Amino acid sequence: MSLAAAAVAVALVTLFALLLVAILSYRDASTTARHAQQAIASANQLETLALDLETGLRGFIITNNESSLKPWNDAHAAYPGQMRELLRLASDNPRQEQRALKIKRSIDAYLRDFSVPLVAFMHRNPALARQVVRGGTGLHRLDAVRVRFDQFITGERKLADVRNSRARRTGRIAIVLGGVSLALAVLLIVLLTAYLARRVARPIRLAADAAGRLADGDLSSRVDERGVAEVGALQRAFNSMAASLERGRRALEEQNRKLRESERVKSELVSSVSHELRTPLASILGFSDLMLQRDLDPADRRRYLELVRTEADRLAALLNDLLDLQRIEETGVQLTREELDLSKLLEAQVVLYSAQSDRHSLALESDEGCLVRADRDRLAQVIGNLVSNAIKYSPDGGVVHIEARCSGSRVRVTVRDEGMGIPTAQQRQIFTKFFRGDAGRRLGIGGTGLGLALARDIVEAHGGRIGFESGEGQGSTFWFDLPLAAAGEPRGVGLSDSRRSGGGS
Amino acid sequence: MTRPSVLVCDDEPNLRELIRVSLGPGWAVHEASDGEEALTLARSLEPDLVVLDLMMPRLNGLEVLSKLKADPGLERTRVLVVTAQPASEAEAREHGADGVIVKPFAPEELAELAATLVTRT
Repeated sequence: MSLAAAAVAVALVTLFALLLVAILSYRDASTTARHAQQAIASANQLETLALDLETGLRGFIITNNESSLKPWNDAHAAYPGQMRELLRLASDNPRQEQRALKIKRSIDAYLRDFSVPLVAFMHRNPALARQVVRGGTGLHRLDAVRVRFDQFITGERKLADVRNSRARRTGRIAIVLGGVSLALAVLLIVLLTAYLARRVARPIRLAADAAGRLADGDLSSRVDERGVAEVGALQRAFNSMAASLERGRRALEEQNRKLRESERVKSELVSSVSHELRTPLASILGFSDLMLQRDLDPADRRRYLELVRTEADRLAALLNDLLDLQRIEETGVQLTREELDLSKLLEAQVVLYSAQSDRHSLALESDEGCLVRADRDRLAQVIGNLVSNAIKYSPDGGVVHIEARCSGSRVRVTVRDEGMGIPTAQQRQIFTKFFRGDAGRRLGIGGTGLGLALARDIVEAHGGRIGFESGEGQGSTFWFDLPLAAAGEPRGVGLSDSRRSGGGS
Repeated sequence: MTRPSVLVCDDEPNLRELIRVSLGPGWAVHEASDGEEALTLARSLEPDLVVLDLMMPRLNGLEVLSKLKADPGLERTRVLVVTAQPASEAEAREHGADGVIVKPFAPEELAELAATLVTRT
């Protein structure tokens, strides 16, 4: 942009310089012309003077009257001044000066050798003088002088012509060059204006439009950043401002979405809890009403009491699990870690649960010395949940296989049953709070639907993972991985890459 | 005179038992433990009354209700909806429930409501 401005300036300066040259050149030419005119006029006067000398002389000699010598005397007196004037005017050109000097020499010679001596001679011998005049020597000499005058005047005219034509040529060139630079300057100004409109005015108008859209709420509004210098800086600043606004709004929307999601989860939870509480409560209140209002035989009375008791237990368990889950979700799983031998913990749980069912047998296979750093009660809670689920969901009895295998830096605990399995459609929801399989409800298998959700929170808090494989009618295999306590013995990469971070979910 | 027939649909066995006992010996009681079973049995038995829990696996209670009400063969069958959520009472009525009772309920209340619904026809 500054280059274009400089070009316009140069063109304008050139234009003015050329105009100045042309004006000076014309002035010079007119000065020369005036000078030539003066020189020519001076030469003419001098020539007249020379003629006056001759005619005055002839008049005097022919008339022999002293009074008729006056023109000659006047011319003789004026001659030196007039000659000096011509020499002065010719002094600017050596050749003209030479010519003027020749004129002077020939007039001087005419005066010295002919005119002055003849005037003196006239006083002594007028007859002879008359004879000399009639012989035409004076006119003859004067003709030579006139030739010199002609040469001088011609020379002066030529000089003036040369200067004149040079001035005209300079003028023409100045006009042409001036015209060209004027056209160039106009072109450059037009181009510069177009350039400014394109590179400055248009980007700024686009930025203003974009700012308008931004103000109307379109935060994805951006401008092209390829503008020059300050325009580019403006565009970049605009884009970075728009991007920052957009990031801010996205963060707010994300936060808003999370809040709505958590509201939704909370309201679903309230609805689920309400349902889960009302169902056992309906049995408890209903059967107690029946016992109070109707005459029942002792067997029925006992059966209803047992149902009341079962449902009350269910309510109590539900309440405990709920409180447990609430605590975990508020503060994360609080672990009191100690180094544990996993096989010993498993043995204790197997003993505990073997007593609960006559129809099931529990088979434990465990690698020796699988040491983990874990919370004893929480880990027992997880194992107990998986084992009791295995028993509950294989109502026909059977073997529950429990395994612990150390491999690399991890240990995997597996609980496998031969029960009813989980239909594929329900597998995705199995760790969802309050979710219980169809079969569980239909067959009246107790549970709160919170056990597995709790188990997952606890396992993940230990840096482990929990999962299962199952198919309808094919039994279920639940497993969880934990990192081994002996971290100084990395025998393999194992599953450590897939370890998730702990903490309440 | 034959006893009126009722189909009790609930996924909780204890609640089915409670409903059956509450209704008393005056009813011929049939039971279904999920939505699909409820629909199948209702169509084959054409009972005088269906007692329907809204929260059921497979086919939820409202869908079962709509299908029962849309079935021309079940025109004279009354439907009594049992729900654990008081908020869903209006929704159940919109879907054509003849009566709604909220858990927990008193056994006598259920028995009276069932009797009213069936004798009204």
